[in-house]
Amino acid sequence: MEAPPVTVMPVTGGTINMMEYLLQGSVYDQALESLLHRLRGLCDNMEPETFTDHELVYLLKGQQGNPFILRARRSLSHPTSPWHLRYLGQPEVGDKSRHALVRNCVDVAASHSLPEFLNEMGFRMDHEFVANGHMFRKGAMKIVVSKLSRILVPGNTENTERLSLSYLVELNVLAPAGQDNMSDDMRSFAEQLKPLVHLEKIDPSKQRH
Amino acid sequence: MSGCPAVRVSIESTCEKQVQEVALDGTETYVPPLSMSQNLAKLAQRIDFSQGSDSEEEVIEGEPRDREWTKQEPEEEEGTVKFQPSLWPWDSVRNNLRSALTEMCVLHDVLSVVKEKKYMALDPVSQDLTASKTPQVFQLISKKKSLGTAAQLLLKGAEKLSKSVAENQENRRQRDFNSELLRLRSQWKLRKVGDKILGDLSYRSAGSLFPHHGTFEVLKNTDIDLDKKLPEDYCPLDVQIPSDLDGSAYIKVSIQKQAPDIGDLGTVALFRRPPKTKAGTQQWHVKLEAAQNVLLCKEIFAQLSREAVQIKSQIPHIVVKNQIISQPFPGLQLSISLCHSTGEKKNHRASPEKPKPDDHLYVLEHNLHQMMREFHKQQLSSVVMPHPASAPFGHKRMRLAGPMAYDKAEIFSLQQNEGLLEKIIKQAKHIFLRSRTARTIDSLASRIEDPQIQAHWSNINDVYESSVKVLITSQGYEQICKSIQLQLNIGVEQIRVVHRDGRVVTLSHQEQELQDFLLSQMSQHQVHAVQQLAKVMGWHVLSFSNHVGLGPVESIGNASAVTVASPNGEYAISVRNGPESGCKVLVQFPRSQTKELPKSDVIQDAKWSHLRGPSKEVHWSRMEGRNFVYKMELLMAALTPCP
Repeated sequence: MEAPPVTVMPVTGGTINMMEYLLQGSVYDQALESLLHRLRGLCDNMEPETFTDHELVYLLKGQQGNPFILRARRSLSHPTSPWHLRYLGQPEVGDKSRHALVRNCVDVAASHSLPEFLNEMGFRMDHEFVANGHMFRKGAMKIVVSKLSRILVPGNTENTERLSLSYLVELNVLAPAGQDNMSDDMRSFAEQLKPLVHLEKIDPSKQRH
Repeated sequence: MSGCPAVRVSIESTCEKQVQEVALDGTETYVPPLSMSQNLAKLAQRIDFSQGSDSEEEVIEGEPRDREWTKQEPEEEEGTVKFQPSLWPWDSVRNNLRSALTEMCVLHDVLSVVKEKKYMALDPVSQDLTASKTPQVFQLISKKKSLGTAAQLLLKGAEKLSKSVAENQENRRQRDFNSELLRLRSQWKLRKVGDKILGDLSYRSAGSLFPHHGTFEVLKNTDIDLDKKLPEDYCPLDVQIPSDLDGSAYIKVSIQKQAPDIGDLGTVALFRRPPKTKAGTQQWHVKLEAAQNVLLCKEIFAQLSREAVQIKSQIPHIVVKNQIISQPFPGLQLSISLCHSTGEKKNHRASPEKPKPDDHLYVLEHNLHQMMREFHKQQLSSVVMPHPASAPFGHKRMRLAGPMAYDKAEIFSLQQNEGLLEKIIKQAKHIFLRSRTARTIDSLASRIEDPQIQAHWSNINDVYESSVKVLITSQGYEQICKSIQLQLNIGVEQIRVVHRDGRVVTLSHQEQELQDFLLSQMSQHQVHAVQQLAKVMGWHVLSFSNHVGLGPVESIGNASAVTVASPNGEYAISVRNGPESGCKVLVQFPRSQTKELPKSDVIQDAKWSHLRGPSKEVHWSRMEGRNFVYKMELLMAALTPCP
């Protein structure tokens, strides 16, 4: 019996070709209230949305040097929501004038058996953390203000310890490849947050030690 | 000095009595003045009687003076006793007074002489003119200089004053501009870009996905000259809206009979007068609101035309320029047009068009706006926000589609499959059907007097459903004959009729169907009425049928018939009523009343002659009575013999 043919060509189109534009910054705990007020005023008029998420980062170490990273995230405040599996590619080295960090992004919703599935596939969990905070939206832009906490006992999301005294602020947009005008809108939005928080593109590869 | 009366000079000493003692409480005790005899004794002691006659004269002189002493003060007596005039303390005073008196007398004499002008005359003392006269040029120059200094001071003050006033005005203008800006900011979204103030009048922050930027600019209007009269509507703040949002717009939804030619489509540019602005609203507010309305109308029309092109329907919709035409019902045309007029076109309204009857359905226009806003709100609902936070935006249920392995049908059912255009067409259909139903009922009611048809429309309706209760009654007999009560539920394409006896009939949108149905119900009512009347009158119902199978076939519905017998059984009335054939009433007489009675040997008993025999038709049109039931009642009454 033959194995079913596996396409060698990479899959293009659909959700595979989405790019994520990202800008990041941080604020101290004391400045959180004013930042939330400002975001409430600048963003779309909705009730403020809070979230509590638990993220697990899985690594697949291959023969090559760079391990393959997948991020699995579930909501603790909405336990019935499906898991979210995310792959983030390398940041695109385009022209320096691009204002935001651009990288390939694949988002998949998964059922609650995701961790076991990944384990079976050969992924090993590298680290996990809990993030909670607020979410805002302006058109296609998503602004997430989150506090990251470290999980002390693996698997136990109740027992957490805050990692820092500040909040992480992320501004990201998901757009199909080729649309570059989003970065201008992101930059003008970041300008409006200027004195409170400086959102800039931070290259993750440079952060790694 | 001569002839003038003597001037009397009085001298008074300050202290009359000597103070002898001052008591502890401040009272003064005076030395009591010497009495006359005591005085005399005191003086006599001083007289030295041993001296000669010189002293006698003095004494004689002293004696008359002595008498005067009682009138005068004690100090004076001391002076005269010593008799040394040079040592008299009042001497200098007396001399000065005397010289003053002399001077005054001289002056008085001189003045009296001068007054007569005979011996002395007064002459003014001549001034030295050259010494006091200054040249006029110097005077002018000095005056000029002093005036100049004064003027300069005044000018400086005036300048300061005018500067401060101008500054105040400028501040006020600025303050006015700033206060207007504050007011603007309280209602509209503004942001500062460089040195320009831009604003956003689009619905994007409210959930719209229309790609128009909707940016307006705020301009300062403070350059006007405040000395001139300010125009009525002066505002220090002005807004500049994008040029394609100029003027005002509205969406016109109308239903017409299908136009025979498609020639002049897409030229709808009728305009209604702009609504009067409320007093007190700023011009910028009016402008911005109008521009926002234009934007919303454009968005609605864009959405409608997109759906008209994409959605496949049995009869395709036509999109021409600013009009969308579709056919809700055969023979009918629904046109949705975007009427946008900028300010200049107002002058071109000179064409003498007859004002067409306004068939604009304002309710549908309002509903379009509401549905658009509803759509905006859905974009912003928290259902769209992702949990976990890293997931992309999207409906909550669609996220479950992957993990739960939904198939196409389930996904399809999740998505909204009704667009704006479909909704508005359904609403238009319903409105049209409802108005046509009302028209049908009203025309029947006005055409047919007997029986009467009443329609009670319910106040609370849905956009897709209305209901009306139709009663068919006879005038004067409403309580007796109320068996035909119909509840009509008017939907989008059909009318559902629920009868009082539980039957449910579904009618299509055809007008004729409803009319036929109502006519058949009316004819049934008459027969029902006879049945009810019989109960009241005491007559017995022998037979009743809603749908008789005898007689001529009706084209609308079926005929119904009833037979009732009088209380004593002698007479019987048969009624057959059909919607088309009208009513036919027959009366059955007892055999004894017929003229031609066949003599027969079979019937021997006379009682058999009381049975009912042949029947005769009643000329119903000649019967007296205003309606059918009244006539029937009269007939029944006539056939019931008095006891």
